[in-house]
Amino acid sequence: MNKSISIARYHPEQDNQPRLQAYQVQSDHSTSVLDALLQVQQQDPSLGFRWSCRMAICGSCGVMVNGIPKLGCKTFLRDYPDELTVSALAHFAVEKDLIVDMQPFLQHLNAVKPYLINSEQSAEPHRQTPAQLAKYQQFANCINCGLCYSACPQFGLNPEFLGPAAITLAQRYNLDSRDQGKAARMPQLNGKNGVWSCTFVGFCSDVCPKKVDPAAAINQGKVASAGDFIISMFKS
Amino acid sequence: MSDKPVSNKTAPGPYQPVMHRYWWLQHRYFRLYMLREATVLPLLFFIGCLLYGLYCLGQSEAQWQGWLAFMAQPWVVLLNLLAFIASLFHAKTFFELFPRVMPLAPAGFMIAGQWLATLLVAAGLIVILGGWI
Ligand code: SF4
Ligand code: FES
Repeated sequence: MNKSISIARYHPEQDNQPRLQAYQVQSDHSTSVLDALLQVQQQDPSLGFRWSCRMAICGSCGVMVNGIPKLGCKTFLRDYPDELTVSALAHFAVEKDLIVDMQPFLQHLNAVKPYLINSEQSAEPHRQTPAQLAKYQQFANCINCGLCYSACPQFGLNPEFLGPAAITLAQRYNLDSRDQGKAARMPQLNGKNGVWSCTFVGFCSDVCPKKVDPAAAINQGKVASAGDFIISMFKS
Repeated sequence: MSDKPVSNKTAPGPYQPVMHRYWWLQHRYFRLYMLREATVLPLLFFIGCLLYGLYCLGQSEAQWQGWLAFMAQPWVVLLNLLAFIASLFHAKTFFELFPRVMPLAPAGFMIAGQWLATLLVAAGLIVILGGWI
């Protein structure tokens, strides 16, 4: 079946803003948006986009499909019988066509110290019970695709906002029984670009391809931040 | 003369997207969110009514009767009805969101639940297979 698809093209040396270009692709029941982009690239090798695994695990193929953030490899043409417009992820600077600058996103991830902080020096492995694992496991499923940032109007309005995935990652380590770094992470979460910038729009959890539920993590972070504040009142 | 393509930009570089004022009209999810935020308006009106009623009650009977008459006006009833619907809507969203933000079922329970489910399925299989053999 022939299908028409519009792609937002942007050439950094020629364009002032992205422009839509229409292409024809062959589509059957199993054609994903990523497959369609690869077909277009055969016709027009100048089209730029990112992809790697084709199986929703590397997190590099994020695009807007009809204005909603999606993984190209996990979104199928069969679900878009009418028009289909693919553009670069929202709220990020567009480098070329569908390629965005993920640097701000990576910086925010880094800002929350996303690793185990533990001063205990021991050659023994840190054992963890299934119950301890269950506390953070869902938040550890993030593949860093950035879709939640494109879904978040607060990040769009304030690029300094730590954002869904970074706060989720902080929460993931704060809940880990092997970690002792919570005190080092809380200042970031309590700060003006931390959890309180979130107004619970909730769209991030809707678009997350891994059901991480970042909105829940952020609001758990609010509870933790409020607790942190009360404790600090008694300490001083 | 160079034969490079003519650029209409002074310096090549990435495109910085701008969020326009009406971003929330973009799609259904954002419109619903704005509606949720807007439900606070009829609720504020309801609280105003309530406080005013309390004040009237403290003044005189005539004032109280006046307040009752005010409350019976169709537009006031309509606004309060809106406030009622808004609070029901909030109650619904609250009960949907609460368990996600405050995971009340402690992890231990959930794991016990999983074991229980495993046991039940295993017992079921044994009974079925046992009966069959
Ligand atoms: S939380 Fe979900 S949407 Fe956000 S980066 Fe992780 S996997 Fe992607
Ligand atoms: S190509 Fe890896 S997630 Fe889509």
